[in-house]
Amino acid sequence: MRSKWMRLFAALFAVALVAAACGSDTATDASDTNTDANAEALADAQAEAEAARADAEAAQAEAEAARADAEAAEAAAAEGADAAEAREFEGQVVRVTGPERSAEEWEAIEAAMVPFEERTGAQVIYTGSADWEAEINVQLAAGNPPDISIFPQPGKLADFAREGFVLPLPDDVLGVATENWAQAQIDFGLVDGSNYGMPVKNDLKSIVWHKPAVFEAGGYDIPQTWDELKELTNTMIADGITPWCVGIESGQATGWVFTDWTEDLMLRYHGGDAYDQWVSNDLKFASDEVTTVMQEILDLWNTEGAVFGGVESIASTHFASKPAEDLAADNCAMVRQASFFANFLPEGTSDQMDVFYFPSLSADDRPVMGGGNLTGAFNDNAATWAVMSYMGSAEYANTRQAAQKAAKGGDGNLSGFNTANLNADKSLWEPLGQGFVSIMQEAAVFRFDGSDLMPADVGAGEFWTQATAMVNGEIDVAGGAAKIDAAWPSE
Amino acid sequence: MTDSLGARIYNRLASIPMWALWGLVVLWTLPSLSLFVNSFRTKSDQLTSGFWTVPRDFSALTRENYDAVLAGGGANDLSQSLISSFAIAIPATIIPIAFAAFAAYGFAWIDFKGREWLFIVTISLLAIPLQVALIPLLSTYVGGAHFTFPFSEKTISIIPDLDLNTRGGIAVWLTHTGFAMPFSIFLLHNYISELPKEVFESARIDGASHFTIFWRLVLPLSVPALAAFAIFQFLWTWNDFLIAVTMLSGGNPVDLPTTVLIANLAGDFGRNEHLLPAGAFVQAFFPLVVFFSLQRFFVRGLLAGSVKG
Repeated sequence: MRSKWMRLFAALFAVALVAAACGSDTATDASDTNTDANAEALADAQAEAEAARADAEAAQAEAEAARADAEAAEAAAAEGADAAEAREFEGQVVRVTGPERSAEEWEAIEAAMVPFEERTGAQVIYTGSADWEAEINVQLAAGNPPDISIFPQPGKLADFAREGFVLPLPDDVLGVATENWAQAQIDFGLVDGSNYGMPVKNDLKSIVWHKPAVFEAGGYDIPQTWDELKELTNTMIADGITPWCVGIESGQATGWVFTDWTEDLMLRYHGGDAYDQWVSNDLKFASDEVTTVMQEILDLWNTEGAVFGGVESIASTHFASKPAEDLAADNCAMVRQASFFANFLPEGTSDQMDVFYFPSLSADDRPVMGGGNLTGAFNDNAATWAVMSYMGSAEYANTRQAAQKAAKGGDGNLSGFNTANLNADKSLWEPLGQGFVSIMQEAAVFRFDGSDLMPADVGAGEFWTQATAMVNGEIDVAGGAAKIDAAWPSE
Repeated sequence: MTDSLGARIYNRLASIPMWALWGLVVLWTLPSLSLFVNSFRTKSDQLTSGFWTVPRDFSALTRENYDAVLAGGGANDLSQSLISSFAIAIPATIIPIAFAAFAAYGFAWIDFKGREWLFIVTISLLAIPLQVALIPLLSTYVGGAHFTFPFSEKTISIIPDLDLNTRGGIAVWLTHTGFAMPFSIFLLHNYISELPKEVFESARIDGASHFTIFWRLVLPLSVPALAAFAIFQFLWTWNDFLIAVTMLSGGNPVDLPTTVLIANLAGDFGRNEHLLPAGAFVQAFFPLVVFFSLQRFFVRGLLAGSVKG
C-alpha cells in the first residue's frame, strides 16, 4: 500500500518537474497566441480609431465653427488648437500620487484633470494617502512607482532626483514652468543645476490673522514694520487687550510654530542669502544673526500680558485649534499662522477675519515664507510630461480652485487651495484668498519653510525640541542654539 | 441564625469576583461605547462636549456622519470600498483554508519520508514577521523571477511579472494566503490528527482512497476547526491595512479596501476627524456579523486538539 503511494508521489513530482522545465515553452506558446490575439485586437482598434478619427474630424469642424462664433479669449483658442491634435494620448493612463487626501481636495484634483482628459484622451488617476511618504519609498524600492508624485517638501524630491528616480524636466515642460511661475518657485525643484519639479500649489506662512472690527474699535492701524508690530503689542497691553494667541503644541512635532517665527524673522532681519546659508548650515544657529532673532521672539512672547494664557501655556497649547477659538472669542487680537489656519476657524466666523502681512523691518521689504507642492515624474513618456505641464498651468489652478471652492460650500468659503501661479485668475478666489494669492505672486523673495529643508535630525528634531525648551525657559538661547548645532549630522 | 448569617457572608464574598468582572467589562467597553455614541453626534458636539452629556438631549443625535461615510459620494464614501474589502477578504479566507486542509491531512495521516521535518519547517515559518518580507515580496510580484540558463538564450519564468496597477488583488490574495499557511496548517493539523484512528482504518478496509477519506470523513468532521480558522482569517484580512496599502496603492483608488480609506478619512490637518467613529463602526459591522454567526464554532475550534478525547 505504502510503496504504491510513494510511487504515485514520485510520478507526480516528476511530472511537476517536467512541467516546470517546459515552463518557458508554454510561456512562449502563450505569448505567441497573445501576439495573435494582440494583432487582431490591434486591427479592431485601428478600425475603431479610424471611425473615431472621422468623428473627431467632424467634431473638429464643429469646434472650429464654434470657435469662429465664440471669438473667446486667447486661452480658449489655445485649447481648441490642442483639441485639433485629435486626442494624442487616447487610452493612456497616468497615475499621480500625493499626500492630499481630504475628500474635497481629492475631488478637486480629479475635477481639475477633466479638461485635460477630454482634450487628450488620457486618463489621469489620482491617489492621495496619509502615508504617502512611506508608500512612495516602498513603491520605489519595489520598482513600482507611480508616473507622477506630488512632493510636499523639496528635500524629498531632491533625494529622489540624486538617486536617479525622478527625471529632470525636458525643455518644453520647463518652458511651461517659466511661463507660469516666478523663478523662486521653480528653483525649489532645482537640484545640482537641473530642474526636477513643477510647482502646483502653495501655502503662505507669513501672515497674521485678526478681526478688522477689533482693530477698528481700538483705533489700531495695521502695522507696516516689525517695530510698529511691537509697538502695537504694547499699546494693546496698555489698553487691556491681549494681543497674541500662541500655541506650539503639535504632538511629536511640538515646537514647529517657533521655527516658523524664527524663519520669518531670519528673512526679515538678514535677507534671503543669509537665510539660505542658515538652511545649509553655513550660518550656525549659535551665530549672532540667529540668536538675535530667536531672542527677539522670546522677548515678545515673554512680555507681561502679551500672550493669552501667559508664556507658560504656549508649549501645551495646540498650534491652531485653540488659537482659532480664542481669536473668534476675542480672547486675543492676533494669531500669526499659515493660510491653512482658515480650516480651524469655528463655523461662521471666517467672514469676520482678515489677515495682514507679517511685517518686515521696513515697509518696502516684503519677503515671503511659505510652503509649496512640486510634482516630479518617475516616467519618461509624453503623456506623463503632458500631465506635468498641465498641472503647472493656470488652467489647472483655476479649475481646481473652482472645484474646491464648490466642494467647500461655494461662494463665501475659503477653498484651502492657494497658488503662486502668475497667470491664475484671482477673481475665482474669495477676497481673503485673493490676498494670499497676491502676496505670493508679488513676492520678490519667496523662501521655503527652512526647517523642512534642513536634515530631519535638525529641522524635524532638535530645532523643535530646543524651541520648546527655550519657550518654557528651561534653557537660554545660546545654550539651545549650541545644542541644535550639535545635532547637525556630520557629512 | 448564625448559620444563615455565615451563609449570607459567604454569598456576599462569593459574589465579589462577579462584580469585579462586571466592573472590568464596563471599563473595557467604555471606549467602544464612547466611540459608538460619538458616531451619532455632530462635529461641533464631538469637539465641545463629552459623550456622557448625551442623556441631557437625545434629540442632538444625528445620522449625518453615517450618511457621509455611506452615501456621501466622493473620497469619504466607504460604500464602494466595502465591496473591495469583501473581494479581498473572502478569497483570502477560502484559498488558505483549501490549501491548509489538504496539507494538514497530509501531515497528519499520510506517512511519508521527512514528514516531521517538513512539518517543523512549516510551523517555524510562523516566526517570520510579515513586515520583513514586504518589500522583497513586492519586488518579486512586480519584477517576477526569471532564470536564464548559462550559455544559452533560454530564459524561464519561475514567477511571471504581475502588473500591480491592474492586478493588485492577486498579489493581496497570494500574500494573505502565504502568511496564513503556517498557522492554518498548525491549527487544522492539531484538530485532524486527533480524529479517532478507527474511523480511518474502517474506511480503508471499505476501500476508500485518501481523497475519499478526506472529502467524505475529514472535512465534515473538522467543520468546527475550519470555521474557527475562517473567523480568524476573515478578521485578519478584513482588518488588514499594511498589505492592502502596499500592494494596491498603485492601482485605482476604487479598489482600495475600507481600512485604507479610513486611514485617509480624517483628511488634511485632521479636518474630518468627526467622521472617524462612524467609519470605524461601518468597518467593524461585518466582522461582528461573521463572528456572531459562526460563534458557536469558535470556542470548539479554539480548543482544537487541546484535550485528548
